[in-house]
Amino acid sequence: MATETSESTETAGATERLVGHQTVERLLGTSLYVVSGLLLLFLWVPLAIIIFLAFAENAVTIFPFEGLTLDNFRLALRSDSMRASLAGSFTIATVAASVATVLGVLASFALTRYRFRLREVYRTFGIIPLVIPGIILGVALRIYFQNLLGILPGFATVVLAHSLYGLPFVLLIVSARLYTFDESLEEAARDLGADPLTVFRDVTLPVIAPAVGAGFLFAWIRSFEDYIRALFLTGPNTDVLTIWMFSRIRQLDAPELNAVSALIVFGIAIALAVAMNVGNVTGYVAGTVTEEEG
Amino acid sequence: MAADEPDESARARAVRLLSGPRSRLGVTVGPSAAWILTLLVAPLAFMVAVSFFEVSSLTYQIVYEPTLNNYRSLFDGGGAIWNTPFVTALWLSYVIATVTTLLCLTLAFPLAYLLARSGGRLFKVVIFFVLLPFFTMYLVRAYSWVLMFGPGGVINSTLMSWGLIDAPLGIFNYGVPAIIVGLTHAYFPYMLLTLYASLDGLDFSILEAARDLGASRVEVLRDHVIPLTLPGIIGGSLFVFVPSVGAFITPTFLGQGKVQMIGMLIESRVAGTYSIGYASAASMFVLVSIVGAMILAFRYVSIEELGGA
Repeated sequence: MATETSESTETAGATERLVGHQTVERLLGTSLYVVSGLLLLFLWVPLAIIIFLAFAENAVTIFPFEGLTLDNFRLALRSDSMRASLAGSFTIATVAASVATVLGVLASFALTRYRFRLREVYRTFGIIPLVIPGIILGVALRIYFQNLLGILPGFATVVLAHSLYGLPFVLLIVSARLYTFDESLEEAARDLGADPLTVFRDVTLPVIAPAVGAGFLFAWIRSFEDYIRALFLTGPNTDVLTIWMFSRIRQLDAPELNAVSALIVFGIAIALAVAMNVGNVTGYVAGTVTEEEG
Repeated sequence: MAADEPDESARARAVRLLSGPRSRLGVTVGPSAAWILTLLVAPLAFMVAVSFFEVSSLTYQIVYEPTLNNYRSLFDGGGAIWNTPFVTALWLSYVIATVTTLLCLTLAFPLAYLLARSGGRLFKVVIFFVLLPFFTMYLVRAYSWVLMFGPGGVINSTLMSWGLIDAPLGIFNYGVPAIIVGLTHAYFPYMLLTLYASLDGLDFSILEAARDLGASRVEVLRDHVIPLTLPGIIGGSLFVFVPSVGAFITPTFLGQGKVQMIGMLIESRVAGTYSIGYASAASMFVLVSIVGAMILAFRYVSIEELGGA
């Protein structure tokens, strides 16, 4: 563009453009920060309000404000049904995520180390549980268990469903790590006389451990927060926190709900802060882990 | 390596098993393949079959005689085809999911760009504040918007107490706008992280070079940034669009009975009357459209890029 202007106006024009350029640049930079700030506000305001209401006398809205209290937390922690469903969800998530982690780690080795027929099909089907809508997977598994296999919904069915749901998270994170893994380390250990199990335990596992941990964490959280699959795959004797919460949100008047929600936000915040400093979770989530960082 | 004596034989067997390439493949592929076959492929195949069979409304048993009645019932409503609950719900779901995806894309791009260009402390702090809502239970986030919206919700009551409005505004009541906001809030981090992963690999000196050579900002964005980050854009859109189509919790809470999306329709037919034939047939339409979207997406991105890896 500059080359098209004539010689005589070149200098003046350039100065003018330079000033304009700097202003535009600064404006753009500022607006980028403003937009990003507003976005963070958008992400955070609803959660902040839940936390605030957890400490407030009034349960569902701020005005008129009626004062601060800790009663909501007392109510939540004293509720037997809440504790039972929390324990139920913990157990389901832990068992399901453990199964998903074992399956996912093995599958990651297969995908990164070996060539075999139908490998691409296998990889695609390993990701599908992540993208298929929960309602369809939930209904399909319910019909399958109840009408084809004659198994009534209960603890086992929901654990099986969640272990399948968690598999893609482990698979994606661990195989990404294995792709950058230097296999000559394993060869060296083998040459020095280590058997495959020892090589895995002493050489491979320490390197991929953060990725395995991140995969487990992901699968655990996905199982813990799932409602729709659990709805179709649990029976009356399986307590699940999300189902407990769902029924109370529908009634729209449950002061202990805000307290439970606030406790969950705090719990996740602590877990995340620890995970970010210990295992570089952000790297695994954003897919930016390199050999040096891992 | 202080293996106990009784373990020794089991260990020896495991080592022998892991020595052959064939058995090694079997051990690594086998368990997850079995899981995928019995818990994903078989149930979906059975669902396809159920959609073509009659289901007894008395015993809930499947009558194994091929029929198209389930599909016919999707489009039977005693009126025009586009007025049946199924068609209305499916169409509304696509509209809501499309708007949500576009909203997430435009909102996430500036933040992803900023994150990719900045590093260090700021990055770590910002990513923490983005990830925390992301990891917070979906149900809690949906509930937080239940509190925000509604005639007496936080937004309306705050605006009224500040004297900005006299009566609750309709736009902040429950309904389609509330659902779109709720879904955007729920799936925004997927878009942000996928975009960030793809912008992070971008060589920013190319953009500076293009600017030096006289390209305008719009031209740089159109000719360089967007083509180079296309896998991220497509992957992120898929991650937002697909779950939005099948959303259940958010439209249930933020629609408050006024809106019915396809996920709610399927749920009500199964939970209410156990009409699994109808639900299976309806699911087929959702599945086919999702598979179509994925095939389209995979022409531009590989599945590894989709995982943000």
